[in-house]
Amino acid sequence: MSAVLEPRTIEEAAAMLPSAGRVQFVGGATELELGAPLGPVDSVLRTSGLSRIVEYNPSDMIVVAEAGVTMARLQATVRAEGQTLALDPPMPDRATVGGVVATGAFGPRRARYGGVRDLIIGVTIVRADGAVSKGGGKVVKNVAGFDLPKVACGSLGTLGLVASATFRLHPVPEASATMVVRGLGPERVVQVAVGLRDAQLEPTSVCALRDDGKYDLGIRFEGFAAGVEQQARKAAELFGCYRAGDAEAFWKRHDEVRTGGPLRVKVAALPTDFARIDAALPQSLRVAFYPTLGLGFAAGTAFPSELATARASLREAGGSLVVQAGLPPGFDAWGPVPQSFPLMERLKRNFDPERRLNPGRFLGGL
Amino acid sequence: MVVCSIPMELERIPVAEEVVRQLRAAVGERNCISDPEQLRTYECDGLTSFRAPPGVVVVPGSTEEVVKVVRIARAAGLPIVPRGSGTGLSGGAMPIPGCVLVSLARMRRIVAIDLKNGTMRVEPGVINLDVSKRLAPDGYYYAPDPSSQSVCTIGGNVAENSGGAHCLKYGFTVNHVLGARCVLADGTVVDIGGPVLDGPGYDLLGVLVGSEGTLCIVTEVTLRILRKPEATRTFFATFPSTDEAGNAVSRIIAAGIVPAAIEMMDRLAIVAIKAATGVDWPDVGGALLMDADGCAAEVEHVASRAAQIAKECGALQVRLPKDEAERQTMWKGRKSAFAAVGRISPNYVVQDGVIPRSEIAKVLREIEALSKSSGLRIANVFHAGDGNLHPLVLYDEKVPGQEALAEQTGGEILRVCIRVGGSITGEHGVGADKAPYMGELFSESDLDSMAKVRCAFDPDAVMNPGKVFPTPRLCGDKPGKYVPHPTETRDEAGRG
Repeated sequence: MSAVLEPRTIEEAAAMLPSAGRVQFVGGATELELGAPLGPVDSVLRTSGLSRIVEYNPSDMIVVAEAGVTMARLQATVRAEGQTLALDPPMPDRATVGGVVATGAFGPRRARYGGVRDLIIGVTIVRADGAVSKGGGKVVKNVAGFDLPKVACGSLGTLGLVASATFRLHPVPEASATMVVRGLGPERVVQVAVGLRDAQLEPTSVCALRDDGKYDLGIRFEGFAAGVEQQARKAAELFGCYRAGDAEAFWKRHDEVRTGGPLRVKVAALPTDFARIDAALPQSLRVAFYPTLGLGFAAGTAFPSELATARASLREAGGSLVVQAGLPPGFDAWGPVPQSFPLMERLKRNFDPERRLNPGRFLGGL
Repeated sequence: MVVCSIPMELERIPVAEEVVRQLRAAVGERNCISDPEQLRTYECDGLTSFRAPPGVVVVPGSTEEVVKVVRIARAAGLPIVPRGSGTGLSGGAMPIPGCVLVSLARMRRIVAIDLKNGTMRVEPGVINLDVSKRLAPDGYYYAPDPSSQSVCTIGGNVAENSGGAHCLKYGFTVNHVLGARCVLADGTVVDIGGPVLDGPGYDLLGVLVGSEGTLCIVTEVTLRILRKPEATRTFFATFPSTDEAGNAVSRIIAAGIVPAAIEMMDRLAIVAIKAATGVDWPDVGGALLMDADGCAAEVEHVASRAAQIAKECGALQVRLPKDEAERQTMWKGRKSAFAAVGRISPNYVVQDGVIPRSEIAKVLREIEALSKSSGLRIANVFHAGDGNLHPLVLYDEKVPGQEALAEQTGGEILRVCIRVGGSITGEHGVGADKAPYMGELFSESDLDSMAKVRCAFDPDAVMNPGKVFPTPRLCGDKPGKYVPHPTETRDEAGRG
């Protein structure tokens, strides 16, 4: 039976960690299955008590929030001032700041604004030894010292508890339009993605959804109304897409894939290798793919052998496949380690020599 | 030009003849420099008041040669300092006496361009601007644009996480580097990242960029390249003082506008730029130079709205360039600001502080007070959109004590930046110059975590030692057992 730790402050978390033994970190519990299965733990640390929005300065467009703050609450706070954190991973009502940083979560707007690593400007971590360390700061432009915020992104808390994070914000766009074109093959999806760039269009999101073999492509433009109108018109002319009357429905379908299961995998490859990704993913899976990024997610059911084949195909092209949920028994969630793994092992050893933080879940058992 | 005012008294620590012979064999006779006179070329970077003679300079031509050099240096127990064009302003590429200085200047091949995937592989010695020039015929470019872009290298940009005027909208080098080939301190070659996003594992690339040569030597870089925006609109606005100009910046950003760049100059900077470049700017207390880019309709809207706000905030004049040539002249004026200050002062110290945008007016007043109390003129040029100040403290080296006073005043400005919640460097890096201030910005524990990262890459701290960290840090658990290298104990490469 593992002890439950619920620190109310970062100092309390720092006091708890040295004697917490092997410890699991839990935020909104939206991505607890991401990666390899958790090893045995002595404690579970819940971040729900780290719930302060520490600082919000609208004129500087930055916000500092503790780990347990949900994305929805953070967004509501900054939205009141006409601002937004341009990070839109699924389940904002549950997903927390700490979890989003630790898992490197992202949504369709990454196409324009980048991922967590591109929007985080500061971090506070609590190491296994109880040391509280900050990296970055509260200004967007800052090259003082090593970029610890980026190291924290996607680390699954295996280097330290992500206790708070500072983000840069963007203005809420004045207008938005989602254009849809249906029934495309993967080659055409790539053509449109490349074509958007050739035409100097700047969508904030591009997403291809596969339900039954073919793809529906959604292209979202956001910004000042004049620019959105111009771009929507141009996209319609060039790619035969039309303005979705029910834009919400398209993005709802997207969210369903992103939160679907029981199996859910993340795939990555060069954008031009999308046909390879499509062919590699069994038809039993629904797919949400971001063709300008070369990243996507697939959810449903599949045999481990099919996943192994898909991974082999992606790796051959320099890509990867990582299981996010519903790991089939005996299947390696992360796949083979990269050439830089010895550096990662040393990093882990320096931060958490006893391997007590979220033991076993990260790449290569780190 | 800043000129070293006091002759360096530091003696060169010669490198053993046998080591030089091995290095020659590794990189070729012509690419190994050990003649004391020739070595002087390499004794500083753009921060010329910090000087130290390297032991030997090598200019390898390939990853394999870099590996050989690193192995030879390690076997001989010599520290290694990597160097690009040496344009850095924080002493990041300043040698430490007796080091093997590795210049990447010969590695300047563009390896591959993949327009469809928006990536490009280059060697580290490629000049920043040459990347965009090469891509221009295809309508692409590389976004980070440090003011030194016509001479600085991509490798140096990676080391420093260089910014530039347009990083307000587009981000810094770290947001535009997808992968790096690295030679580690033990001679191992490791590829980190690559053209495919989100490779599993820790974001090593995120910390490698901006590590100032303290982790490894980068021998190849995969860049993210961008399609040129459909339209760009520039305007230049003059104001009675920096107060009105600063207010205009705040209101433009509060209006939901994300300019591609928004730069501010004060009276003294304008005077200097006019003297140096001949631009026909009026003598005013403050000026803004702004770029908006993106799709034509949006840019049109944004530019006219921003110009309107500038007028509402008391702009004396809003000037639109009549053609691309005039636009280039405006930007050239801004980008040559540092050198231009050389026209109005024999010497100057450049600072690189960052403050929250909302503190601009207050901090400028504090800088003015520092100018009054020190008796030194201070010109201000800055990336106003992201609060990155470049105060230039003017002095005359011939006046006894003025150089020290200028550096002290620069330091006081950094302390103001720290006090208002900013940073000691926005784009120039910590290097040797600002390492002493790191302890004022970060706690022991913060620095300890950074050291843990460093130790994962370079446990013996042989890569560019003495930079970034305020005091030598070790890689064990407990402090106190650090034994410095003999050359390091003599490393008193002080100021000027």
